[in-house]
Amino acid sequence: MTDTAPIHAPPSDRQGDAIARFMESERRRTRRELWTNRLLALGFGLFVLALWAIATHGGFVHKLIIPTPLATLEAAGRVSAADYFWPNVWVTLQEIFWGFVIGMAAGAFFGILVAMFAPVRATLYPYLVALQAPPKIVLAPIFVTWFGFDMESKIAISVVMCFFPMFLNTLTGLSAVDPNAIKLMRSLTASRWQTFRHLLLPNAAPIMMAGVKLCWTLAVLGVIVGEFVGASAGIGYLIYAMNFQLDIPAVFFLIILLSVFTLIVYQVIEWLEGRVIFWNSL
Amino acid sequence: MTQDIITGSGVSKVYATATGPLVALDDVSFGIREGEFISLVGPSGCGKSTLLSILGGLEDKSLGRLEIDGREIDRPRADVGMMFQTPVLFPWRTIRENVRLPGEILRLNKTEQKARTEELLEMVGLSGFGDRYPGELSGGMRQRVGLARLLAHDPKVLMMDEPFGALDEFTRETMNIELLRIWEAMRKTVIFVTHNIGEAVFLSDRVFVMTPRPGRLEGIVEIDLPRPRTPEIMREARYGELVFQIRRMLGVDH
Ligand SMILES: Nc1ncnc2c1ncn2[C@@H]1O[C@H](COP(=O)(O)OP(=O)(O)OP(=O)(O)O)[C@@H](O)[C@H]1O
Ligand SMILES: [Mg+2]
Repeated sequence: MTDTAPIHAPPSDRQGDAIARFMESERRRTRRELWTNRLLALGFGLFVLALWAIATHGGFVHKLIIPTPLATLEAAGRVSAADYFWPNVWVTLQEIFWGFVIGMAAGAFFGILVAMFAPVRATLYPYLVALQAPPKIVLAPIFVTWFGFDMESKIAISVVMCFFPMFLNTLTGLSAVDPNAIKLMRSLTASRWQTFRHLLLPNAAPIMMAGVKLCWTLAVLGVIVGEFVGASAGIGYLIYAMNFQLDIPAVFFLIILLSVFTLIVYQVIEWLEGRVIFWNSL
Repeated sequence: MTQDIITGSGVSKVYATATGPLVALDDVSFGIREGEFISLVGPSGCGKSTLLSILGGLEDKSLGRLEIDGREIDRPRADVGMMFQTPVLFPWRTIRENVRLPGEILRLNKTEQKARTEELLEMVGLSGFGDRYPGELSGGMRQRVGLARLLAHDPKVLMMDEPFGALDEFTRETMNIELLRIWEAMRKTVIFVTHNIGEAVFLSDRVFVMTPRPGRLEGIVEIDLPRPRTPEIMREARYGELVFQIRRMLGVDH
């Protein structure tokens, strides 16, 4: 038999030493690579920061166009200490949360429906694909008219932005399955539900997770655009108002804040993705 | 000899293709006895997979009668197990969980299935690998898992479509020897598709020789080699004669 030897057969003593040395040097090499990569990324960040500082402090770019890093830092302290700050942040957070969750759930739901039921597919698929074509942002003014200046209109825009990537990724994921795996399930007399649960859904998970990540950035985008178009609260509203008052450092701070927030949640989703679809790295 | 468990008479399969009807199987008739090891050999496109899919109830035939246990085949049956050229393991399940899939689908007794899974892993030489994932195994090991899963719900007929076709020569031979060992112990009815004539002769009680365009059953060759068989049998004159006879039927020797 060729394959039955245990994977970690104990090496002979002489080899054992050599293998231990090899493992140690491998470990050191990966650690070194990790740190090199971190330093490279950090170095580039500092480089950009330095460019920014030189360009603004050196007077190459007017302060009204791009504020200095220090002015931005000062604005950060000023804005985040103001009593209007947290209520606005809270509004935006809620809008993003609901837009993301509802858009994602609706996209996955319709994706599953269209993938699993041929009549639903025949009925809805052409329209869903056609609806995907126009840029969803054009709906923003109409939604503000329909749903008002409060959170509902922003959530609606966000939902519409999220829906399509999640819908299409769910549909693609559920359809991209090894035909032999389907034959296997059929030969075992599996029900539709069993095939869905044991094969189609886990098989679709990687593509669906990619959809979730797309959804997340689009949910944020949808909310901010909505707040630009018509709102009485929120980070997008603040950015718009500060920009109008030519408080560019405050605008910069809010943009950076929003980016960092989006990025952190994105990283959390990626981490979750690694947990959910652990087998992709095997 | 026992009675026929599978009978086919006048089985035909026509595909409606863009360029007109394509006859994949033309008037195929045969009987298979319980516990027999049958191989289907023939060149690519002669309808081996088509016949197996129909036997497995995965595809409809166009004409003819086809029965297992006296019942017309019109859908998959739980007592017929299928194995394909690729192992189709689910990468999100451990080896053990993959072998337990049929039991879960068919809602078999959990305690029994648990014990059986360990027995089967032992039998295919993978007892230490139950907690690993398919991504960590070699191609040969994966097909062993496929073999264990095939037997998990104890089907009485096994349909195998070139199960070792993607493996290298050495692993393939090892797998054949093991399959034979398992079959000797369990005596299930096996229908084994291959286009390796030597493999078919080595394994089978009878070899169904098929020819293409249209897919026809050219003839059935009785393999009168003694059992149990070991690879040494390939050195015997009778083995060579049988291989040669099948080659002639397939028209590869003129
Ligand atoms: N779904 C299909 N639609 C149309 N034609 C098909 C279909 N499936 C198979 N065929 C045709 O039927 C014939 C037999 O195919 P089949 O897959 O059974 O051959 P095979 O003997 O298994 O070949 P191989 O050894 O290459 O696997 C081929 O000519 C093939 O093109
Ligand atoms: Mg085939």
